[in-house]
Amino acid sequence: MEYYPEELRTPPISLVSVVGCPELHQTISSFLHAEQPPINTLALPDFSKISVLARKHKDPLASPQPVAGILKRDWLMKHRTRVAAAVAALFRADYVTGDPAQWLQVCTDLENLKAAVHGRSIRLIVILVQTNESEDVSEDLKIALRKRAEIDTKYLITFLQNDASELRQSLTRLASIFAELCNTYYREEGRRIRTRIEKRTFNSVELNIRYCFKVAVYAEFRRDWAEALRFYEEAYRALREMIATSTRLPPVQRLVEIKAVAEQLHFKTSTLLLHGGKVVEAIAWFNKHIASYRQLVGSTKNSFLHWDWLSRQFLVFAELLETSTVAIPSTLPSHFGTSENPLTEWEVQPAYYYQLAASYLREKRYCLDSSLSMTDSASANTLGKNPESVLPSVFVGQSARLLEQGDTIEVLPLSDAEYINYAITEAQRFQDSYEIIALFKKAYESFNSLKAPRLASHCSTRMAKEYFIAEDFNNAKLHFDGVSSLYRQEGWVTLLWESLGYLRECSRRFGSVKDFIEYSLEMASLPIFSAGEVETPNSKREYGPAGLPTLSRRESVQNEVFGLLRGENILPLTDGGCSLIITEEQPVRVDVDVISPLRMALLACVAFHDQSVKPGSPTMMTLSLLSQLPCPVEVDRLEIEFNQPKCNFIIVNAVKDLSTAQLDMDSQDVRVENAPSLILPTNKWLRLTYEVKSGQSGKLECLSITAKIGKSFMICCQAESPASMEELPFWKFEDQVETFPTKDPGLTYSGLKVIQVEEPEPQVDLILGASSPALVGETFVVPLTIKSNGHEVYSGELKINLVDARGGGLLMSPREAEPFSSGNHHVELLSISGTGVEDESQTQFDNIRKIQQSFGVVSVPVLRVGDSWSCKLEIKWHRPKSVMLYASLGYSPNSTEAASQRVNIHRSLQIEGKIPISISHCFMMPFRREPLLLSKVKSLPGIEQKVSLALNETSVLIVTAQNCSEVPLRVISLSIRSDGDEDSRACSVQHVGGIPADNAPLVPGEEFKGIFSVTSKVDSPNLEVGSVCLVWKRDLKLGDFEDSGVVTEQKLPSVIVEQPPLIVSFDCPPHAILGVPFLFHIRIHNQTNLLQEIKYSLGDCQSFVFSGPHDNAGFVLPKSEYIMSYKIVPLCSGLQQLPQVSITSVRYSAALNPSAAAATIFVYPSEPEFIVGAKKQETILV
Amino acid sequence: MANTACFIIVSRNDIPIYEAEVGSAMKKEEAAQQHQFILHAALDIVEDLAWTTSAMFLKAVDKFNDLVVSVYVTAGHTRFMLLHDSRNEDGIKSFFQEVQELYIKILLNPLYLPGSRITSSHFDTKVRALARKYL
Repeated sequence: MEYYPEELRTPPISLVSVVGCPELHQTISSFLHAEQPPINTLALPDFSKISVLARKHKDPLASPQPVAGILKRDWLMKHRTRVAAAVAALFRADYVTGDPAQWLQVCTDLENLKAAVHGRSIRLIVILVQTNESEDVSEDLKIALRKRAEIDTKYLITFLQNDASELRQSLTRLASIFAELCNTYYREEGRRIRTRIEKRTFNSVELNIRYCFKVAVYAEFRRDWAEALRFYEEAYRALREMIATSTRLPPVQRLVEIKAVAEQLHFKTSTLLLHGGKVVEAIAWFNKHIASYRQLVGSTKNSFLHWDWLSRQFLVFAELLETSTVAIPSTLPSHFGTSENPLTEWEVQPAYYYQLAASYLREKRYCLDSSLSMTDSASANTLGKNPESVLPSVFVGQSARLLEQGDTIEVLPLSDAEYINYAITEAQRFQDSYEIIALFKKAYESFNSLKAPRLASHCSTRMAKEYFIAEDFNNAKLHFDGVSSLYRQEGWVTLLWESLGYLRECSRRFGSVKDFIEYSLEMASLPIFSAGEVETPNSKREYGPAGLPTLSRRESVQNEVFGLLRGENILPLTDGGCSLIITEEQPVRVDVDVISPLRMALLACVAFHDQSVKPGSPTMMTLSLLSQLPCPVEVDRLEIEFNQPKCNFIIVNAVKDLSTAQLDMDSQDVRVENAPSLILPTNKWLRLTYEVKSGQSGKLECLSITAKIGKSFMICCQAESPASMEELPFWKFEDQVETFPTKDPGLTYSGLKVIQVEEPEPQVDLILGASSPALVGETFVVPLTIKSNGHEVYSGELKINLVDARGGGLLMSPREAEPFSSGNHHVELLSISGTGVEDESQTQFDNIRKIQQSFGVVSVPVLRVGDSWSCKLEIKWHRPKSVMLYASLGYSPNSTEAASQRVNIHRSLQIEGKIPISISHCFMMPFRREPLLLSKVKSLPGIEQKVSLALNETSVLIVTAQNCSEVPLRVISLSIRSDGDEDSRACSVQHVGGIPADNAPLVPGEEFKGIFSVTSKVDSPNLEVGSVCLVWKRDLKLGDFEDSGVVTEQKLPSVIVEQPPLIVSFDCPPHAILGVPFLFHIRIHNQTNLLQEIKYSLGDCQSFVFSGPHDNAGFVLPKSEYIMSYKIVPLCSGLQQLPQVSITSVRYSAALNPSAAAATIFVYPSEPEFIVGAKKQETILV
Repeated sequence: MANTACFIIVSRNDIPIYEAEVGSAMKKEEAAQQHQFILHAALDIVEDLAWTTSAMFLKAVDKFNDLVVSVYVTAGHTRFMLLHDSRNEDGIKSFFQEVQELYIKILLNPLYLPGSRITSSHFDTKVRALARKYL
């Protein structure tokens, strides 16, 4: 838009003029300018300057000249800066009221002014300027003045200069009058010209256009946009008709003029439309404009003028769209391309026009270049003659030559040839490239922000080409790299081909061999198959340096680059760039990873035939190579690299023995394999199968395959697993047979480039010695032996783990909150005690020793082959539980090897924890003595009842310990341990018998009894008797546990102690003899202070006869004894039941019956003769 | 028949799977690249437009000078794009519809991998015949 003069770009503003009183001009003009709509002021300080307003005097007699052009260049300017619509003459009031000479001067000035504006319909205003209100001008004078000026009353204004409010009022009045007069003036002028159009008082089209233009401009002056638009369009239409008809100028200049005028008219129309918010109409108008002029190219020689013009149209329209205050409607009908909305979505975006402007500018540059080359030699001299004297003429779009002959300056028309020469010189002055790049960049950024990456990349491509042409290869490469990645991603092969062609050329210019090779290889491996066609000279322009995308071109690209790789030299281009050569000093290495586009050129894939292998044993691997290059590729050498460098090997092409010899020199420790040929045909897998042996355990992974071609070129491919290999995205065709990298299709789907090398077989024994079940409470010892029988053990580490055999892992349960002496663990690892070499490395040994309740780590000292080391694990069970004991030993067989070479050996053992001894007990009363215990009498059957003991009576406690384990035990001692001091006084427990001398053996299932007498001295409902304390040990012949007995403690339940009111004791001999009478006494002892009534009876029985009452009752006096005596004669021999005694206490309603055992007696048939020692007899008698 | 016409099938993942210069202009290979650039750029517009309408035939979506891009989007989001200079909308629509029939036949081929390049010469011949008939 900057090409256009200011007056064309901005809407016209009315112009008025003020004359006289220069001190007021500043105030008036600034006030008017601030009005809405603004008015420009042409200020003339005094009346001598009024001649500028005067019309140019035309000779009325001169014959009417033929029309020389369509629009005058300065007409608009003139009307905006020189031809005022109204003139205000300012007079000081004191001049008017002053002396006659002054009045005369006023009159003369007025007359002159009237004469100057005569002929134009410029209106006159007279302003009387008063300094203050006092100097009032008389009404008569005003009338006289008005008459002189020939104006209406309202056009005579009085100004009060020194009163601010009055001055403002006057200014407002003046502004409104000016506005009214301007409106009238422009309407009049417009009407005047319109009548000319309507009456057709002229016969040339040019005048018609000019008049239309003028009417439109006048309409614009008074802001009648609709009329302005109508007449601009009318002028445009008339102009379009002129194209074929006008003959006024030479043909080239004629077209140039028409286009220049059309451009101006179009600009005006578009501006008006856009300012009116009619975006869609403006675009439609623009499309019409372009459609009607696009074909008017003109001759080939000057076609650049046309493209330049066309490009400017797009550029200007884009700028108009961009700067248009109207926002682009967001709610455009969604469906474009229909008859009601023929616009596409992008046509409302300025970027769309920017990029088209750039495209046409490129066309212009191209045409200009070809014009230059055509006229180069022929017009070199004429160009030199072509002076700067060619100037734009008075008409829009025309040029003329200025001829100076002495003092006179003459303007001469130009011939077409001269004009073209002039235009070419002018055009050469511009740097089109920068302009094109700037435009594309604008469009590119705009499209990018509109999220249209493909449109943006189209712009980017063209921008990059422009950079390339301008030899700015850095920028060109940058942009081509960007677009080629998009085309690569979306698979637009042809477009990628072209971008790569440019990139390849850029790298050639930079002298970058590596880039050149990479781009060339990628180009050559693109899937392009079209048959070769002969390149036409024009195609260079269309296709860039890549040339036609054909198979033959691919082949030639490959040949070229392989020539370079084999050491040939690529010569520099004639117009610059470096010579490309690969030297041995600077070898080139190209890396291909899984995302590299060069996978098409070389794809390497490695599959091991097995998934895991023993260390040191060989395994097969297949190496497959694929190339999509159009010609077969011969590789000199393949280097296969693994993560274990010892496995690396080299495959040498057997044909090329020269390189083999060289190879042997530099790398002797690497395995070298020979292959009959290493030729990669197009799209066909080259499969090589070799054996690999790894001595190291862990992962063996093939990292890369480096193909060496020529002496100093390497292409290094990252190895891929066939199972996880991505296909080549471009090379997936329906008619291409799917090929597998390996012969075995199964391997293709599952083969991996990684193989697991197993750990070496451990040659160390780990022996866990324990077998028998563990017993709760004892410190169970598990002997553990490490014996080296092949490997030396370095930095060995032994881990012990105790795990619940039923699962669950934890060896404790939080629910069982019963406290143990060592926490809540049911099974506990107490210690690991080492022996053997322990002493030597005591310090080190302790350092890493770490034992927790179920986990322990100890270090194992260095063991030579044949050495052994053992330790003891001490484990204690608190509860019967089955436990898995895991022991794992990790060691390195070699003192120097890294930690990765560790060998592990694991052992486990399930150990059952069992309760060794079950303890039970019972309380008994002395024989044939029955106290009446009231708590027993009251107790309800079925409810568990504590044992009741009689106060001050001696009861018998029998403790039974049974060996319920499977191992023989020895009981060391059995005792009752009372728990507290108080209880010990309340109850005395004495050992009576039953415990053998020492360490009584207890075989499995056997019982062991201890007898204690218990005498309670305190009447207590809850008396603690104490705990049974059993000390035992395993019955082992080994001396290990000599000193240690295991204490098993069991608490006895508490008992009730009470005072019995009655005690019944039966008194009878230990045995009886058949037929011999004996006495049977029943004693009832009353321990209360009450009289106790009792009833008793003695039942008959077959075995005995007795004397005495069957039933009787009696009273027992307090604290005394009642004795019933019977004489009984046994009738039968053997163990006989005495007659049934039943005693009932009336007070307590309780029966006091002797137990069955107490009522039994043995009857000898005759007097027995005991043959026993005196001592024994005593025992029996007791 | 149209002077210039470039027909291209773009798969759902934006890869061109078939391309043909079907214009009657003599120097047909000349501008192929230029045409592809335009068609590729028009994909952006198609992306926007395809989701706003249920119609398959999107008519003219883009213009480049006097060349127009017409697009037909199949249900599987494969796009048939035609760059042409003729204004025969009905013919273009018929052309697209018949090409879709052909394309479906290609898809029915069990050996054809959807989304891969169509290299069938039979398809090519048929498409060119259709172009002669309708464009």
